Amino acid sequence: MFDWIANLWAWLRCAPGGTPQPPGVEPALARPIERVLLSEGVAQTLFSDFSDHRQTERGDEEIGWILLGYWMDGQPIAVAALPAGAARDAGAAHVQFDSEAQSLACRILRQCDKRLQVIGVVHTHPGSLRRPSDGDLRGDILWVRHLRAGIGVFAIGTADARSGESAAHHQQLACPLLFSWYALGVGDREYRTLPVTKTPGADLATSLRPVWTTIEAFADPINRLCRQLARVQFDVLAEDLEATLVVRIPLAEPNQELRLLLNLDQARYYWDNAGELVAIDPDEPQLDRAVYLILAELCPSLSEAPSSTQESH
Amino acid sequence: MDFRPVTTEERKKLVDALRGNAEESLAILMDRRDTSFVGAGEEITDDEVISAIQSVPVHY
Repeated sequence: MFDWIANLWAWLRCAPGGTPQPPGVEPALARPIERVLLSEGVAQTLFSDFSDHRQTERGDEEIGWILLGYWMDGQPIAVAALPAGAARDAGAAHVQFDSEAQSLACRILRQCDKRLQVIGVVHTHPGSLRRPSDGDLRGDILWVRHLRAGIGVFAIGTADARSGESAAHHQQLACPLLFSWYALGVGDREYRTLPVTKTPGADLATSLRPVWTTIEAFADPINRLCRQLARVQFDVLAEDLEATLVVRIPLAEPNQELRLLLNLDQARYYWDNAGELVAIDPDEPQLDRAVYLILAELCPSLSEAPSSTQESH
Repeated sequence: MDFRPVTTEERKKLVDALRGNAEESLAILMDRRDTSFVGAGEEITDDEVISAIQSVPVHY
């Protein structure tokens, strides 16, 4: 009965440096990564977002992205770039992402693939510092411990490339924009340059861009719902002019679900009763409170329980 | 027979694996020879990924 505990203990002791490593995760430092692969969509997102950002009123501020992807054969592959969000805290010398919106975006993307994980962070420097700063290093040394692989991929974007300049093996260049890539593992004291290569593929987060404002508006209450309710599902409807984020919450009864249609800062509530849609006005502005009020209304009371159940008592 | 309290880290891994299985149908891996626990599937729980996102430090 206790063999599995012994095996678990042996597995933990075999981890390098005594650090527990989940199964299926290769010890990052024992097998240095050779390069980072970016899907073409992700590479395109980084350059186009950076270029667009520089044209905005906040163009002098730093900007950034979280990279989601996979580790395959010990090498990281980035397949989604989550933007910092309009609610980011940023200035000319720092950027803090809107992590609530990024968390919700991550939940939506991971519906289809639970292997998706955080592989790194990209941010820009307004000047010509093409490597992470000392402040970046202090934060990232602690942060990489949160990563399943025990190693993170980092990139710095600058807009200082000169005409005719060629990119080094760890750089991507679209003059004047330049991204320089690095890796940092648990226990590392310095970043190391990381060769970067593109591979065919989309940026999976592109599908969320039409509803990103909605994601930011409702991230906090929806994340709370997801922490409390299992099986919350999402869809993005982008056929019409107003893209809509749909949140579906299955009910206890078969073929029934609560459906939330979210558009910018507007929320509409529907009860899907075996195909029959019933609009609901919960008269409650806060989204998660509205959901629980509706669930309470839809929950059958004991007086409505089947007579056979009552007789059995 | 060896009786030993599980450590905090062991308990966390086990609870994570069980929760991942119950809530998100993630695989719990077992040794085919003796059905002992050998860890969780390669899939990663939402909690683990969200924790990494929420922990991203300020960048300078």
